[in-house]
Amino acid sequence: MFKNYFLVAYRNLVRHKGFSFLNIAGLALGLTACLLIGLFVYDELQFDKFLPAGERVYRIYTEQTSKETPETYSPVSPMYATTLKQEFPEVEQTARILMNPTTNLLVVGDKKIYVKDGLLVDSTFFGVFPLAFKYGSAAGALDAPTSIVLTEDVATSFFGPENPVGKEVKIDTTGFVVKGVLRNDLSKFHLKVNYLVPLAAAQLPAARMKRWGWHQFFTYARLRPGADAAQTQAKLQRYIVEQVKPTMKDEEMNDKPFLQPLRDIHLYSATFKYDLTVKGNITYVKALSFIAAFILLIAVFNFVNLATAKSMQRAKEVGIRKTIGASRQQLMLQFLSETVLLTLVSVLLATLLTALLLPALNAFTGKTMTFDLLRNPALLGILVVLTVVVGLLAGFYPALVLSSFQPVKVLKSAVVTDGIFGRVQWLRHGLIVVQFALSVFLIICAIVVFRQVSYLHNKDLGFNREQIMFFPMRGDNMSRHYETFKNELRQVPGVVSASIGYGFPGDQVAGDGIIVPTNGEQKNYGVTQLMVDYDYLNTLGLQLVAGRDFSPDLKTDKDQAFIINETAVKELGFGTPEQALGRIMKWQVWSDQNPDSLKVGKVIGVVKDFHYKSLYDKLEPAVLQIFPPAYWKVAVKLKGDNVGSSVEGVKQVWGRFNPESPIEYRFLDDNFDEMYKAEDKLKTLLWTFTGIAIFVGCLGLFGLATYAAERRKKEIGIRKVLGASVPTIVALLSKEFLLLVLVAAVIAFPAAWLAMSRWLQDFAYRIDMPLWAFGAAGLLAAVVAFLTVGYQAVRAATANPVTNLRAE
Amino acid sequence: MIKIENLEKIYRTDEVQTKALNNVSLEVAEGEFVAIMGPSGCGKSTLLNILGLLDEPDGGSFTFAGTEVAHAPERRRAALRKQHIGFVFQSFNLIDELTVAENVELPLIYLGVGAAERQAKVTRVLEKMQVMHRRNHFPQQLSGGQQQRVAVARAVVNSPRLILADEPTGNLDSSNGNEVMELLTELNEAGTTVIMVTHSEHDARYAHRVIRLLDGQVVLEHARA
Ligand SMILES: Nc1ncnc2c1ncn2[C@@H]1O[C@H](COP(=O)(O)OP(=O)(O)OP(=O)(O)O)[C@@H](O)[C@H]1O
Ligand SMILES: [Mg+2]
Repeated sequence: MFKNYFLVAYRNLVRHKGFSFLNIAGLALGLTACLLIGLFVYDELQFDKFLPAGERVYRIYTEQTSKETPETYSPVSPMYATTLKQEFPEVEQTARILMNPTTNLLVVGDKKIYVKDGLLVDSTFFGVFPLAFKYGSAAGALDAPTSIVLTEDVATSFFGPENPVGKEVKIDTTGFVVKGVLRNDLSKFHLKVNYLVPLAAAQLPAARMKRWGWHQFFTYARLRPGADAAQTQAKLQRYIVEQVKPTMKDEEMNDKPFLQPLRDIHLYSATFKYDLTVKGNITYVKALSFIAAFILLIAVFNFVNLATAKSMQRAKEVGIRKTIGASRQQLMLQFLSETVLLTLVSVLLATLLTALLLPALNAFTGKTMTFDLLRNPALLGILVVLTVVVGLLAGFYPALVLSSFQPVKVLKSAVVTDGIFGRVQWLRHGLIVVQFALSVFLIICAIVVFRQVSYLHNKDLGFNREQIMFFPMRGDNMSRHYETFKNELRQVPGVVSASIGYGFPGDQVAGDGIIVPTNGEQKNYGVTQLMVDYDYLNTLGLQLVAGRDFSPDLKTDKDQAFIINETAVKELGFGTPEQALGRIMKWQVWSDQNPDSLKVGKVIGVVKDFHYKSLYDKLEPAVLQIFPPAYWKVAVKLKGDNVGSSVEGVKQVWGRFNPESPIEYRFLDDNFDEMYKAEDKLKTLLWTFTGIAIFVGCLGLFGLATYAAERRKKEIGIRKVLGASVPTIVALLSKEFLLLVLVAAVIAFPAAWLAMSRWLQDFAYRIDMPLWAFGAAGLLAAVVAFLTVGYQAVRAATANPVTNLRAE
Repeated sequence: MIKIENLEKIYRTDEVQTKALNNVSLEVAEGEFVAIMGPSGCGKSTLLNILGLLDEPDGGSFTFAGTEVAHAPERRRAALRKQHIGFVFQSFNLIDELTVAENVELPLIYLGVGAAERQAKVTRVLEKMQVMHRRNHFPQQLSGGQQQRVAVARAVVNSPRLILADEPTGNLDSSNGNEVMELLTELNEAGTTVIMVTHSEHDARYAHRVIRLLDGQVVLEHARA
């Protein structure tokens, strides 16, 4: 019996190739999108799950309640770990990581490699994070201050495949002994790590380690089994209020600490500041899961829609089978096996597509996901279940409808009129509207995101970011003789100017207070501190709106002068740029020896606002001053031509000052492009989903149009016999669908407006909502819909009426 | 074999109510060949559909082989249909996606007959209907006469006790029509009851008895001239 079913199914499939293709392609595409998203979501949910007892590990983070909207900080005072360990019996172990996002030069013999993500950690680190060792063991691995633990990749790049335990690795010039090598499976660890060194190696002053105001450590605590994290958190918050705050004299204490479960860190830290973890975003994960479910639903729905439309043409077959004596159950079984067959083909195709597209997704997400059915029986099980469930789900409705046909009726006329189809029309139309609304919504989003992204990349930032080589100084020799270094850089042919300082656009900047005496009061403002030299303004091409630049000829400029930006003029209450000139400002000098010394100076100039941070952040008041102790980074402005040889020249100068370490440079504009990576990805993602949504939407519409054309075949035939022209008939058939698209647009417009307004809100600097995007999206959807429906309509309208009428 | 009494069938549409059958009583004995005639719209097809258990009457009784079936559930009607009744239609009604042999095999499949026996029966009936050489063709590749022969083959393959034919020659030329009539006569002579609707006096002559309908009522019954 099944042989007969499959035979008919197969012949139907082959006979209506285009139709079968569309139906299978639609479902396969939907399933592929679903599978890929599923893999991604699954992968995102796996972070830190591999760590034994990880469910008892928590990260301590704080909310800073001083700001209007509280901000969340990942790094906290070193005292949290100390306190938790000493005063909280339910805490089994703690571990701290110093926030230290610098790249260091690792040296083994002649091999010198810059390595990022070296962590300075408490020796208890492996007690909290029991990572697997390839060589050596966790016990005592970080006890000696000269210990270093490498990851497999780093160890291999220095020592090859051999066991390096006991060998020496230098960080710059300090020697360390390799105590262990971690296994390579750290892709699901929330921390990026290449090597670990005990905190003791940093020789941090004991007094500083006792400061509650020094927010510099990522702190983790593992609770004893059975301990209640919520209670511990409440206890810790109380402890801060009752025990710590009263002891703070000068410094303000606005910490409100929280415990974050280890396994939440990856997905739930999107808004955390100064966080160095590998971040995912639960919002995206949820949105993607939703989209996946939605795509699957739509794909199944379209599948049903097409199958039902198709079934109209099989009414006669059903009638005959029933006349011969087929029972309803037998017919349902037949149609169900047909859809299961179609689904099976789609699933196989989707599996193939997923395997083909996974490398691209891996490249896009930077993940290493695998789709190995043989090694992952669970995945295979999911696919089988998916086939059966989708097949049954998709086949059930058409089977129900078809098997309910009355043979007397369907055999009487070749075409079925209304009946049950009429009753579910609102559902049919409703779903088409939803699909098109989604398409229109996505088209608008794609356009808006595209516009904003190009705005981000191209906006005039108020300074000249082209052809600026950018690198940190390295080695004592270079830092100590930075002036000679700068002079020699300037001699290189092709170099326009060079500036050394701390606080370049696109790089780290420091925030600090500035004191402004106003009406006898000492007002303290939070500002950005840019530590600059005499060449900063001209190297970056900043414009002065009042006053003058720092000058090396005026002795007082070094210790008694500030330049501020326009925003500072406003925020510090100076009135106009001209009025700001000459105003006194005081700054608490960065100095370990003399923490109380004040630098007092006058405002000598005001620069036009420039964007030293990403366009996410609103411009802050900025204070520029000469402060050589903080000098660290170098910006070298090159001429437009012969960049290659200019870079060579800079490298040679570098070599004269530091032959030990190779130079590691980038261009300033790359820093900026990198800031918007997430947006670039969002853009790609949106285009893809928009494409899928439109395709899937068209499929649904196509199914509906086929159905309508089929249903009205006879009517059309008669109209033509009576003299109706092709265009009239096309219009007759298309009208209703264009109306659906119109309704879809009406739903999509406000939704897209809302979503995109909110998205744009995140950017301090953004485009105006492009209204034309709405028109364009609506028009595009209408055109696509018209082409889809029009195809069916034209086909129906140009068909020979005699064939349709003779079908009786 | 068939006994109907006071059969009524009313079609209700939004505005009109058509009495397609009005108090029809009729008896057909096992082995009879009956022709039903009457002007268009008089209710011939309606009657045949009820006799074939494809449709339900609105009133009256219908006994088929001794049991009351007027309002039998669909499951039982399907079972009776596949076991005892074969249909032949004016428009052949073959399944386009199946070959000649597969079309003919279908009733046997629904009856749950084994594969070997199905093969044998299909071959036998196709040979008898002289379409054996076309067994692997699809219906659309056949002439009207051939299609109707296949339809007859399909109707008789499970040796039903009753064959219902609704204008079986309506779409055929006279020589093809005669062939089909010969086939029906042969089957009848072999013991099968045949009830046939026709507009053709010529065809009606093959029957033992003619029943004439007018406006849903039996107006005349007479034996073959
Ligand atoms: N589905 C239906 N709905 C409403 N009325 C119907 C329906 N089917 C048949 N009728 C009506 O019932 C009456 C009998 O129809 P039936 O098809 O039995 O006629 P017939 O004798 O077979 O005619 P013909 O020789 O033209 O085939 C007709 O008046 C017809 O209009
Ligand atoms: Mg009729």
